[in-house]
Amino acid sequence: MFYLLRLEIRRMLADKRFLILMLCLPIGMYLLFTNLFGNQPQSGPPAALELMISMAAMGSIGAAMMTTGPRIAQERGNGWLRQLKIMPIRPGTVIGAKLLSAMLSAIPAIALVDLTAVLDHGVRLSAGQWLGIGALLLLGTAPFAALGAVIGYLTDDASAFAVMYGLLIFLSAIGGLWMPVSALPSALRDIARVLPSNRLADLGWRIVEGQAPLAADGLVLAAWLAGFTGLAVLGYRRANVAR
Amino acid sequence: MTEIAVDFTGVTRTFGAVRAVDGLDLTIAAGQTVALLGPNGAGKSTTVSLLLGLLTPDAGRIAVLGRPPGQTVAAGQVGAMLQNGGLMPGVPVAGLIELTRRLYPNPRPLADLLADADLTGLARRRVDKLSGGQSQRLRFALAVAGDPDLLVLDEPTAAMDVASRRTFWANIRGYAEQGRTVLFATHYLEEADENADRVVVIAGGRVLTEGTPAEIKRAAGGSTVRFSAGGAGRAGLERLPGVTAVETRGPAVTLRTRDAEATVRALFAARDRVPDLEVSGVDLEDAFLALTR
Repeated sequence: MFYLLRLEIRRMLADKRFLILMLCLPIGMYLLFTNLFGNQPQSGPPAALELMISMAAMGSIGAAMMTTGPRIAQERGNGWLRQLKIMPIRPGTVIGAKLLSAMLSAIPAIALVDLTAVLDHGVRLSAGQWLGIGALLLLGTAPFAALGAVIGYLTDDASAFAVMYGLLIFLSAIGGLWMPVSALPSALRDIARVLPSNRLADLGWRIVEGQAPLAADGLVLAAWLAGFTGLAVLGYRRANVAR
Repeated sequence: MTEIAVDFTGVTRTFGAVRAVDGLDLTIAAGQTVALLGPNGAGKSTTVSLLLGLLTPDAGRIAVLGRPPGQTVAAGQVGAMLQNGGLMPGVPVAGLIELTRRLYPNPRPLADLLADADLTGLARRRVDKLSGGQSQRLRFALAVAGDPDLLVLDEPTAAMDVASRRTFWANIRGYAEQGRTVLFATHYLEEADENADRVVVIAGGRVLTEGTPAEIKRAAGGSTVRFSAGGAGRAGLERLPGVTAVETRGPAVTLRTRDAEATVRALFAARDRVPDLEVSGVDLEDAFLALTR
């Protein structure tokens, strides 16, 4: 299990597409947004802080989905998952290593966006707040890792990346990661509140505002996790019947 | 180790309307090297998938080393090279072999595996940067990494050049000599002939015939003798020594014979000239035509 996890992580670090998109994109957007809107007066926490959470959330969502979706599609296509089935390893271990590596892959995205915020905007938080943000954003990527698995089983090697990327854009934009939910048209505001991306960021936003994390956020994320896991299991079964 | 390595009893597996495996009975004794020989679509890969627990039979019973296939695989007693099995991309060759070693209870040393598969110089190369033949050698290393009692190979030499093939089979024979059971599927009669103790010929999902390579070739009619002859020169050819069948197409006559030498000797004894004479061993296609007739 741990050796498989080690290989999965090694593979992530060798994947240039992953490094560029999932690390450079959130940092780039953070710098762009904070320098565009950073000086506008607004209620609530400063934009540098709020956007730090938004971009860290977007980066970790993308990293988690990227580590599962396109890879599962690729491994289904090239037969590696089939090869694993004739080795003495349980399917649960294979999936576990995949989800765990997906969640761990969110660490660099969260850490680098946070570091950029500290260096570029002098963001200051207590050690407890930093730890809380890190831990909650990390745990909160679980539904996205599962969503990636759904993509991996329902698409193929050619389309998985595009589908994943489209969903990332949708979840980020409508989930209020690019602009505050209050700036969205009213019809979209209700949708935003049920999206897992919004709830993930909300966990962090509440911490930087000095509030306790909202239980409802955790429950909504858990519900999405359960739903996506169920779909991933269905997809896994369907993929195995077709072979 | 059990006496019987593989035991199929009346195994059937259908895909829609196609009976890929149709009432297959197959017994392989431990320690044997057995070739599963058949044309494309004969049911070889389905048989291999059933044997490895990748597919479950619609009817019949399968025991591998005395247990259901899934259990034998989970216990690390089986290693396999699948025809459409893949490799984990983006990781180094040695890393992938090491991962496989760690899954089995009694793995072979990493250095030996690299050396046997001729991959020592490529140990740090990324798996997705290997050529077709190199990938196939890596698949072989993965298949034997756990020192399995039963080694299953489905069309193992498909992507290999001639030199790689030779080394590959030398490795397999070495492995079999350690008392392991080896089952390989192939559509090359030559590979079956040179490397198997026993050949099981399957077609249409059933066992057509089985025996030693020599027995199979005899059953298939041995060799063919071709020459040109007009109408009158064709009389009595079927009575020549060894001949099992006579075919004519235009001026060409093809004799199928169990004993090419005796047939050719008799041909020359009976006539002054034998134009366009050609003698060849049966290829698999001929063998199948002969066997299924």
